[in-house]
Amino acid sequence: MEATDTVIKIQNISKRYRTVNALNDFSLDIPRGTIYGLIGPNGAGKTTLLRILAALISPTTGQVWFENEELTRSPSVIQRKVGYMPDFFGVYPDLTATEYLEFYAGIHGIPRNKHKRVISDLLELVDLNAKRDEMVETLSRGMKQRLCLARALVHDPEVLLRDEPASGLDPRARVELRELLRTLQDMKKTIVISSHILLEMAEMCSDVAIMQEGRLILSGGVDTVTHRLGGSRQLEIRLLEQERVSEAIQLLKDMAEISEVSNDEGTTLLQAEFSGDDAAMSRILAELITKGLPVVSFAPRSSGGRLEDVFMSITEGSTAS
Amino acid sequence: MTFLALLTKELRLRLRRERTIWVIIIYILLMGLLGWFYISHFGGYNGYNNNNGLSETGVNLYYLLSMVQLFLIMYITPAFTATAVNGEKERQTFDMLLCSRLSSFSLISGKLIAGLVNAILLIAASAPLFSLVFFFGGITPAQILAALLVYVVTTIVVGTASLFCSTLLSRPAVSTAVSYMVVVLWVVLPLLISFILLASSGFISAFLLAAAGSQPMPTNSQTSLLFVWNPVTALISTYPGAGGLATYTIGKIRIAPWLAYTVLSLLITGILIILSTWTVKPNPMGRLRSHTRKDPEPKEATATA
Repeated sequence: MEATDTVIKIQNISKRYRTVNALNDFSLDIPRGTIYGLIGPNGAGKTTLLRILAALISPTTGQVWFENEELTRSPSVIQRKVGYMPDFFGVYPDLTATEYLEFYAGIHGIPRNKHKRVISDLLELVDLNAKRDEMVETLSRGMKQRLCLARALVHDPEVLLRDEPASGLDPRARVELRELLRTLQDMKKTIVISSHILLEMAEMCSDVAIMQEGRLILSGGVDTVTHRLGGSRQLEIRLLEQERVSEAIQLLKDMAEISEVSNDEGTTLLQAEFSGDDAAMSRILAELITKGLPVVSFAPRSSGGRLEDVFMSITEGSTAS
Repeated sequence: MTFLALLTKELRLRLRRERTIWVIIIYILLMGLLGWFYISHFGGYNGYNNNNGLSETGVNLYYLLSMVQLFLIMYITPAFTATAVNGEKERQTFDMLLCSRLSSFSLISGKLIAGLVNAILLIAASAPLFSLVFFFGGITPAQILAALLVYVVTTIVVGTASLFCSTLLSRPAVSTAVSYMVVVLWVVLPLLISFILLASSGFISAFLLAAAGSQPMPTNSQTSLLFVWNPVTALISTYPGAGGLATYTIGKIRIAPWLAYTVLSLLITGILIILSTWTVKPNPMGRLRSHTRKDPEPKEATATA
């Protein structure tokens, strides 16, 4: 990645609250246009980091750069580039959805003659056009979440910061939210989200940073992180006939890219530890088919599950990067 | 621009609440019933009164209504502003205000004006009741205007003090309670102090002797200064026949108590607004200052995978 692709550069920041160190010498580069996930257990420092990035609190030590602007020197400039969505809704129930967005457009300094168009576009983006004149208190939790997202985007920020975006949402609302984030990514926005729901992060994010006790343990692309730490991916292969399972195990064990094969007795599902690229995976599948093995399904295990394994393994002790 | 957006939102929220309408209705009903009760029981009007009797009724009615109105204003105003800032924190909307381009001054002035509009609405709604006094006579429009000024200034100073409490204290219930305590102390403390001073200087016995007609009425400039910033004294000084009430002298200028009160109140309001602006946002004056800012240019981050 080139230096110019970095939109946020966090350099050795620490944050101390009286007796607690929320962040400890934390450094991270966030590339432009990514959906960057901050993963960590409760108390890892995710919310503190997001609040620092939103220029709501200052780091005790260290620096944060947004392109060429240093956060502590020009917080108001940074706040124009950042849209922040905390993990709570924070709405005014006695306003309509339009009035709610009108208020935020006003306090973000958007000229009054542009309000109508901006609000209309945002309501369309979050699919709340039909609810534009409804009181906020009558909206469902998912709708309020989408309205808050529209609020965070009202000044067209380059970076969107979201703390625990899917907490308390039903599955449908989560899917809608994920789609929305993808749309925003297509709009060239950089999105930084925090969560401890790893499956969801693996599905949403292009890059992740794993945090523990205020320290960065590992960061990079989702596949890179799982690959680097786990050293291998897991393949799940399901056969049609149980009689051919032992033959398939033997064949897989003979392959260089497969380190271990396991199978629960009485099932047709094989799990193989695989270290190789997509081409190697394709070769393995071709080999199985050539040998006439009846393969029903052949897929790498979802990175969410792998990420969970990685996360569990590295946060088990006090491993530091 | 940002200020107007905040003011519009505040007015929308406040005026949509059912409570606002009920407060106005109850306020007017209370004042109206009080006036009606006074006229029907103490007015002594039987259709044959002379002009002097009527104007005496009018003046007494005015005394009653104006004093009740002053205390109602002091009682109601804190409710409009004492939770203005910490209410946002409780509602978890404060961070979003901090993330916007809303300046501390716009935030404070928007909240203050919205709160004051509610209180001034009550004063305006009671104006027709006060116009009843003109039917009886005895009160001049200038006196009513002076009293109105005292009301508005009292509303502003109580509203600003309550708003300051809401910026200092994080819990709305606590800031409301503290605001009421401040108002009570503001009104009652000069009275208590002057009573203690007078009792220790034998002033009270001299006052009682004067009341009995044995000697001339004593004056005490030490205690009258205590009341220079007191809404009750200021209101009384606007009453007919209050010309004898001590005036304050600065050099060659003599100032009526209600005017001195107005000037002092506006000064203190200004100070409170500055303090509120100072405290409303965390670390104002470039509130984000890192302790280590030696490098002017970004360095390469080191902990990425």
